[in-house]
Parts: sequence; C-alpha cells; structure tokens
Amino acid sequence: MTFLHERLGNGLEIIAERSPAALSTSIGFFVKTGSRDESEDLWGTSHFLEHMIFKGTTTLSSEEINRRFDAMGASANAFTSEEDTCYYATVLPEQQDDAVGLLSQMMRPALREEDFETEKKVILEEIRMYDDQPPFGADDRCRATFFAGHPLARSVLGTVDSIQALPVESMRGYYRRRYCPGNIVLAASGAVDFERLVRTARERCGDWEPLDLPRRTVPFRRGCDLRDTVDRIERPAATLSYAVRMSPAPPGDDEDRFAAKLLAIILGDDSGSRLYWSLVDSGEAEQASLHHHDFLDAGIFTLQLSCDPEDAGNLLERLPELLDMRGRRAITPSELDQARNKLAGRIVLSGERPRRRLFTVGLEWTHNGDHRSVADDLAIVERLGLDDLDRVLARWPLEAGGCTVLAGP
Amino acid sequence: MYKSAVKQTLHAATLDNGIVLLGEDLPGVESVAIAFHTPAGAIHDAQLFGGRAATAADSPPTVRCGLATLSGEMMLRGAGDRSGRRIVEDLENAGVQWAQAVSTSHSSFSGAMVARQLPTALPIYADILRRPLLPEDQLETARQMVLQNLAGTEDDPAHRAISALKQMHYPSPWGRPAEGLSVDVSQITLEEIRRFVATLVKPQATIIAAAGRLDWDDLVARIERLFGDWQPGPIPDVVTGPRGPRFQHVPHESQQTHIALAWSVPAYRFDASYEATAALSVLGGGSSSRLFTEVRERRGLCYSVSAGYQTQRDFAAAVCYSGTTAERAQETLDVMLAEIRRLPGSITEEELMRVKARAKSGLVMQQESSAARAGGIGRQWYHLGRVRTLAEELERLDRLSVASVERWLADHPPEDLSIVSLGREPLEVPRDLSP
Repeated sequence: MTFLHERLGNGLEIIAERSPAALSTSIGFFVKTGSRDESEDLWGTSHFLEHMIFKGTTTLSSEEINRRFDAMGASANAFTSEEDTCYYATVLPEQQDDAVGLLSQMMRPALREEDFETEKKVILEEIRMYDDQPPFGADDRCRATFFAGHPLARSVLGTVDSIQALPVESMRGYYRRRYCPGNIVLAASGAVDFERLVRTARERCGDWEPLDLPRRTVPFRRGCDLRDTVDRIERPAATLSYAVRMSPAPPGDDEDRFAAKLLAIILGDDSGSRLYWSLVDSGEAEQASLHHHDFLDAGIFTLQLSCDPEDAGNLLERLPELLDMRGRRAITPSELDQARNKLAGRIVLSGERPRRRLFTVGLEWTHNGDHRSVADDLAIVERLGLDDLDRVLARWPLEAGGCTVLAGP
Repeated sequence: MYKSAVKQTLHAATLDNGIVLLGEDLPGVESVAIAFHTPAGAIHDAQLFGGRAATAADSPPTVRCGLATLSGEMMLRGAGDRSGRRIVEDLENAGVQWAQAVSTSHSSFSGAMVARQLPTALPIYADILRRPLLPEDQLETARQMVLQNLAGTEDDPAHRAISALKQMHYPSPWGRPAEGLSVDVSQITLEEIRRFVATLVKPQATIIAAAGRLDWDDLVARIERLFGDWQPGPIPDVVTGPRGPRFQHVPHESQQTHIALAWSVPAYRFDASYEATAALSVLGGGSSSRLFTEVRERRGLCYSVSAGYQTQRDFAAAVCYSGTTAERAQETLDVMLAEIRRLPGSITEEELMRVKARAKSGLVMQQESSAARAGGIGRQWYHLGRVRTLAEELERLDRLSVASVERWLADHPPEDLSIVSLGREPLEVPRDLSP
C-alpha cells in the first residue's frame, strides 16, 4: 500500500491509498461540513444539500447524472453525518477519469428552486421513514440531551418543521460558505492512477474559486456536571422498548480513542461480549450493545438496548452493575486477547475492500490530517494492554452516569 | 476489458458421503471465507414422523414455523467438548467473523478470517455440524432469543410487508418466514429439535464453499479428515402446496404506508433468468431505473423504491417495494403499476447497456471479497449443480440484447400480481390485476 498526497493552488487536497491487488477504484469527495456546522434556522441543510448535489448542474440534469453513474457500472452514493458530507463512487479502474469527472461536476450544483421543492418531499419521506422505526427517535433525543446547548445536539436529518421552513436561498448561502475548495478533500483508494487523478482534478476543480476557510462551530467541552437522566418517549405502536444511553468517552483527538474502541468490544460487541452473554444469549434482551463514537472534539459511549417493554425498567436498574468493569469485575487477560484478535481480523478483512478503505482513509485525513495503513492499525491494536483500558475507565467511567432515553409502548 | 481483469481458479470435490466442497482462489487477499450450507432450511419447518416426512397415511403434520431457526440457534449452544460459550470464544479468539443464518432452503454457518486461522476454525464448525449437544438447559434461553428477534421484526414495517408478500406469493412452504412465527416457536419441543437436526443436518445435501487465500489440497485433506466419516441418510422430500391470496392489507399505526408487490419469473437455474433479471434491472435496479426516476426523482413520492429478483430452487419472483406517506400511497402504487405495465415493448438499447455495465462491474468487484465469493459459489452449486465461471457469466451478459429481453417479456408479461399494503388504510387495487 502506498499513500500519496497533493494540494491544488486553490486549496483542494488530493489523497490516495494505492493497493496493487485491488480490482476496483473508489473515489470520494469529503466535504468538511455536517449538521454541527448548521445554525438553528439551517437545521437539516447539510443532508438536504447532499440530496440536491444529485439534482444536477446548469448543464447536467439529475437524470443524466444517474444514467452516467449506471453506464459506468458505478456503485455511487453519499452520506451526511454531524461533521462530514461525502460523495463517492466505486468503479473499475478504467472508469476512474469518468467517475472523478462526474463527481467533480456535481460538486458545483445548480440548486434550482424547482428541484429543491421536489426533493424536499423526498427528505420529508426519509424523516417519516425513520419516525416509524422506534429506535431512531430514541437515538436523536438522547443526543439532544447529551449535547444540550451545542450544535451536536441537532439531528442530521432535521425535523419536518425545520425542512419545511427552509428557503432555497439559505441553502445556497450555506453551500457557498462550506463547499470552497480548501474545505474539501478528494480521496481515492484501491487501484488508483494517482498522476491521472491529480491531472483530472486540476482540469475539473482547478478553477474552483478559493474562499476564506469557514470555521467550524464552537468546540464541545463537557464539564463534570453530567446529569444522570432518564427520559421517556411514548411509542404506542412499538412491540419492543428501545433504550439508548450516552456517556462521555475519548474524543477524536485523544490517543485513548483506540483503547476505547477495544473496551467497547469487550463490553458490548454484537457477539461474545459481556452484554451479549448477560442479556442477549440469555434471551433477556433483543439487543444489548455498546459502541464508541468519536467526533472532532467529543466522544460518546452509546449503549443500545431493546427488550420486552415489561423488562425495560429492571434492565435499566441493572445497568450500573453490568457496566462496572473494575475490582471484582475487572477485565481479564483472555478478554483482552479475544477482543484484540477480533479487532485485528476486522481490520484485515475491511482493508481488502477499496470502498471500506476509502471511508477509513478519507475520514482520518479530513479529521486528523493523518494516514494509517492497515499495518499501522494492526500495530496499535497489538500494543494495547490492560493498563490502557484501566486508564480509559478511570478517565471516562462508564457506570458513573449518562443520559438515557427509553422509547416504547 | 473485463475478461483480463480477473484470472480465476475454481475447485470442486465431492466426498463419498455426498458433501460438495467448493473453492475459489482470490489472488491478493489475506483472508479466507468459508460457509457450510446444510439442507435444514425453513421449508422443513414441520413435525417429522420418526425422522421422515409425512406420508398420506399420517395425520397432517403440524407446521412449526421457526423450527429451523430455533434448531440453528441450539446447534451453537454446545457441540463436541465445547460449551456454547466456548464455541463463540474459540471462533473469536481466532479472529473469525462468524455468522449463523437460516433461509428458506438452508441452515448455514459461516466465517471470514485471516487465512492462517482456517485450520483452527474448521474443527469448530465440524463440532457444530456433527456433534451438536442440543442441551436441554439451553432450550428456554434459545427460545427467548428467537422470540426477541421476532418481536424486533414487528417494529420494522418494511420487513413485515416483504415477509407478508413472500408468504402470499410463493407456494407453501417456500414463502414461509425463515425467522419463524412466535405462536409456533413458543410450542417447539426439544424432541422436535433433536429429530429435526438428526434428520436434516446431513452430509449428502451439504455444500461447503470457501474462497480467498486457499491451499486447496490442504483444505480437501482437512475436510476429509473432519467430515469424511459422517454418515449420510435420507432427506425428506418437500411437498409443495398452494399459493396464498393475491391481495392483503396489514393494518399498522405508522406515518408511512409500505407497498410490496410480486409476480412470478423464472428461477435462477433457467437460462431465461438472465432476461428476467435484466428487465427488472431496467424497471428498478439502479438510480437511472424507471421506478427511481418516475416515483422518486420526478414526483418526490418516496425515499426508497426498488425492484429486484429473488429466487428459490424452483420458483422466483420479481419483487417491488416502496414506502411513502399514507396520503401519497395510492399515487405511488398507481405509478409503480403503470411502470410495470409499460415495461414490455419499451426497453431501449441505452437502458440495457447500463444494466450490463452494472452487472459486469458487480461481478468483477465481487472478486475482491472472499465472503462474497464463498457465498456466490455456494449459491450457484445449490441452484445449478455447478459453478459458473466469471468468463461464462460475462459472455452470457454480452449475449443479452433488447430483442432477447423483449421476446422474453412478450412471452411472460408481468401478470397475476401479489400485492401487500401495510399501514393505516388499505389501497385500491385496479380491477384488471385482480385474480
């Protein structure tokens, strides 16, 4: 694997991780913008804009975009999160130029009002689709409580009200501020021809006007005043109850984030973890898992639990004990080994798919300006020991408290 | 350009007891994936009579929808010298990403791992398949786990709509929900599970498929050693029964109404399945497909809409799905039906060219994933009794033409549709589609 980097005069960065054995090429534009960069009156704009990018430019209709991606046999899509918006396509190597060319064109969209009104309906359908699935409401409400008063509190999709109230002119302004070349990374992985990538990017993106870099919103710094709260959402039609609990964890710029991910595997992986054996294998819960999620300047451990509504209260009461990983319940060396072996296996397997590498490599670069190969990641896992896990538990004690939301009938 | 992209090495061997072992070398990967497909699928979800299927002389067998799923779960709860917990720990200590799944036709156990771990993983799978303990003290917790999963699917309206559609559309027992039905799962006994496993987890219809960084000779020797003396026995036949009703509304308190519809197309083992798949891809395959363009892009009626091909051994279905706000559901159904009706006689060269491009690049990209290839060659053997080479598949795609797709559509226009709506209000189905 080789890592390559280039920067155009207007600030656009180009990176690539080349794997000689790959049969496909993945290309992505990573824009450093997401829901945390929105103000209250722009709630949901980043994600809505992601949809609008597929609606075409002044010379390219949305149907033409769809036809061209399909004609190159591309697997193309996009996603929006709190901090990133990414447009990507995976193609056979001979389609690299076409894929980069089309994605580049799309990044300068027309944002027509007529398309805006049609696509608004699609966004509203997407919101309602998630509304009909009880776990999603609990997740959004929990983040809103945990990050109260900070832009990370707002959901990525927005609400029916915020989307309906959004004028097209506000989206156009947001686009102009956030999609300047210095705020975008063009990343590629797999069978990449880097020289041609840079040449195509120069031709297609070289004339994008450089603007002052937009600032990211206020950093998130949580004090030690974490409230131990439980909120409820009534979902009369739900069959199960869904609990989401968030507590502080290492942020994306903290070295302890790697140990935090290992800790989450030991405690709450989807199989073979402590929560799995205590609650899922025993049939007490449909799901019980813990994940570590990091933002640029914040981190959360998210616990997800779904169970029979009658058992929810009891399971929540048992959480402090289940989450305690010290003293009598300290992590054992064999638990550590099993988690390290699992994580190493995952790193190797996901490293074989250019599409998976694109997200890993692209997001690491946009967030930290860093590149780690599969071998680098394996070396980190190899080095993690019990003392690292103990340190994480001391700095971010899981059982100390968190925001919990319970959705159910 | 595609043919030069991949040099393919395929292997196949049959053991004396009937196990079929398949392999594919994937140059450039570090991993290997392996899948064990046993014939203990949901089509056999009925009480067995002394280890055989029912005959006319027996009283009708009681269907136990979920027997295959609960049996599959029980097989993981102890095997050979290993407890259920040891099975999982041993797999995960070897870094195996493991999975267990029950489909209509199979009960499957699979894993993907770094290639050097395969010798550690194989004996674990041999224990699960050949020496499951099916321990009595695990029955109630295993049952609770299956019931919990079933309750979870109740909260997924799209899944419920598609599941109801399959139950209606396929002749029994091919549309049975593999995950089971709670009312049946509650009643399954340990005796039924033991009889089910003893009768159906058998070597002669079992397919073992591996792909990735393979040492084929070594794999054959290991499989011989672990599975060679496994005794075969008769697998009960499946008696295919009638189909369900054509239309159904499932009342559900939700904002969106979910629409699922299906009609019959040729099964995968028939050559015409290529034409059928191509026609469906034009209808609802990519983002330039007709359903995506007309339902979502032009009218903004929904977030998700699609059409796809689903196959069983003898039956296959074209399945279309969309979820949309209740007030716009009727319009969505009407537009979907209009596009389905319009399909024969309207396929263009450009559309078919895009379908071929998507199919071909999909085939090549599959070669990057050991898990995808292990799954693919196993499926092909089940349906065809052999594995198609990549060159053969690409060549067959090349032979698709507008004329061949249109000829097939003219002979087999979409008709006799099964339609499910799930939501607050039933939808109106046009009379000419009624049975």
